[in-house]
Amino acid sequence: MNASIIGQMAVSGALMGLVYALIAYGFQLTYATSKSINFGQGELVMVSAFFSLTLTNLGFSYWFMVPGGLLFGALLGLVVERAGVRLALEQKSEGWILLTIIIGLFFFSAAENIWGRDDRPFPTPISADPIHFLGVDVTRLELAVAVGVLGIMGLIELFKRRTLLGKAFEAVSADRDAAELMGISATRTVMLSYGLSGAVAALAGILVSPITTVGPTMASAIILKAFSVAVVAGLDSGFGVVLIGMFLGALESLSSYYLGSGWREAPGLILLILALAVRPTGVFGKAIIRKV
Amino acid sequence: MLRQTLYGSLILAALGLQAGDTVKIALTGPFSGGSAPMGTSARDGSKLAIGEINAAGGIQVGAKKMKIEIIERDDEAKNERGALIAQELAAMSDLTGVIGTVNTGVCMAGDKHLQEKGITKIICPAAGSASMTQWANKPDKPGVKDNSIFRFAAHDGIQAAMVVEEAINRKFTKVAVVFDSTNYGVSGRDDMLDQIKKQGNKLEVVAQEKFNIGDKDMTAQLLRAKSAGAQAILIWGIGPELAAVSNGMAKINLKVPLIGGWTLSMSNYIDNAGKNGNGTLMPQTFIEEPITPKAKAFIDGYHKAFKVGRIPSPVAAAQGYDAVYIMAAAVKQAGSTDTKKVKEALEDLKEPVPGVIATWNRPYTKWDPADVTTHEAFRREQTVMGMVKDGRVVFGNDADRERLRKSALSATPAKAKAKKK
Repeated sequence: MNASIIGQMAVSGALMGLVYALIAYGFQLTYATSKSINFGQGELVMVSAFFSLTLTNLGFSYWFMVPGGLLFGALLGLVVERAGVRLALEQKSEGWILLTIIIGLFFFSAAENIWGRDDRPFPTPISADPIHFLGVDVTRLELAVAVGVLGIMGLIELFKRRTLLGKAFEAVSADRDAAELMGISATRTVMLSYGLSGAVAALAGILVSPITTVGPTMASAIILKAFSVAVVAGLDSGFGVVLIGMFLGALESLSSYYLGSGWREAPGLILLILALAVRPTGVFGKAIIRKV
Repeated sequence: MLRQTLYGSLILAALGLQAGDTVKIALTGPFSGGSAPMGTSARDGSKLAIGEINAAGGIQVGAKKMKIEIIERDDEAKNERGALIAQELAAMSDLTGVIGTVNTGVCMAGDKHLQEKGITKIICPAAGSASMTQWANKPDKPGVKDNSIFRFAAHDGIQAAMVVEEAINRKFTKVAVVFDSTNYGVSGRDDMLDQIKKQGNKLEVVAQEKFNIGDKDMTAQLLRAKSAGAQAILIWGIGPELAAVSNGMAKINLKVPLIGGWTLSMSNYIDNAGKNGNGTLMPQTFIEEPITPKAKAFIDGYHKAFKVGRIPSPVAAAQGYDAVYIMAAAVKQAGSTDTKKVKEALEDLKEPVPGVIATWNRPYTKWDPADVTTHEAFRREQTVMGMVKDGRVVFGNDADRERLRKSALSATPAKAKAKKK
């Protein structure tokens, strides 16, 4: 009995952890090209989820709604880049920190006014019935989260390695100035990274909403954990966020079982402090020596 | 024809009639946010009753007929908003009464301002015990001598008793008590534990689990309840989190009944839980089933006037409706719109008031700080077990349908009689 409970808590925690990993991956995408992060990423998750819900309510099928939602997320990502990041980067200032937070707040107010403050169910054709598997109950919804998260991350990694545009992306990530000298437009690449990051946020919203419901505050708890995952794993390891995300998710649900639900967040925060103290570049991060 | 005039007058009432010869009644509650299904239903139920009264020419006050004028305030379920609104209402010199408030915290924050000025309020439908017991005698300090706050809702004491009773009737011996960390949830847990003791300790509480507002993942709490062998989950919380509990139970294959406070009938519980909500049991004072001609007229009237196919919270709507008729009867008996005279009339209503839930026969008596039930209208008899079935709340037991039908058709026993037993 006990072993199956540990298994149950670890598995359902790890599957939720994949959502943290996906959002953390969105942070990595923009950090790689521009060394900036959208602090309003949680609001992108939420607004895209609401938009996808609206598409569904208008009668579009699930398989049309998913790309529609992703496209919308990508557009929002571009808006954030244009309005909050580009000017700050051009002026080599850290203004993007405040600007992305402000844009996030704006999205939040807009969502409250357009869709209201209530939590709503998010319909999905994927069944929520549990499947019994090696003594553990897993719902198809949770499996869909795993498939979706690993699928889109795999696709983006393939894109970065196999296509010309992707290679430009990698080049800008490695050395922005050198890439510009080679004729790659760094501005375009940063736009691309924000667009991808927005699409990733939208997918996270679409995948998680059937489990958590859609509401203006749906992402506020998730986003902090995603940020912890990104920092603990390091801001440049896609493989790292998946591992750390699953680990953090499992740790959370195990501690809420053994220590009580009030202590749910504590081990994750301790992990974050430890990581910052011991390995500031992240467990999977590379220490970069910058030559001056 | 009658309906049309009714809606016409509803609109008139909403626009607000000319001041002067009107009875001013304030309707308050949360009309946005997580508690909105209860707040808007109570408000709209009240508006329906006010529309009917105004369509018939108004209330007979002394020699003339006066229409009701509505003052509407949204407290957003926030304690501080509630306090501000109460201060504003307390400052109105010509206010006859207040009907409303969903959240116990809002009652605690605001009602003192109304009570200070002696403004008559009927709390509807906040159920938390504390909103009335705050006026009663306590071990360390005596209660207020004169109280202008009344309640028109099945308070948590009644509800907790019914929840425990239902679990015992179903021959359960082990239960898990699950509650949210707000005032409402914690006092609900205390009421339930208290009732388990009172009803002979027939239930063993194998797990006590808490969750927070906004929590979506209840796996840990539910697994603990499951591994402790709970045969039922007794729960106190609010719509969205209750739905997360139901969905979590389906996920870990915990197939036991969920029994809890009337909030389990909120539309945001029913919709978010979907088919996982089927079979959930909760105390109700009104079920959206046309068991009497009056109930049918009320349900149809509500659906048409507010263009819905399902009342978001039928209990709140029906209570809002009946509360207006009781207030109107008090105004008529007092022959005055003066809030203090209305209060005295409320404490001694001579004529039975026909409502959609019951025919109210002297629902309140003179305030006694040693006995809050003097200002509580509901008794166990007006409450039944409701059950969620395919997106609606239906009767949990068929016998209850008949009982409620009878109580709605005949007058409730007078207060003095009810108190003796």
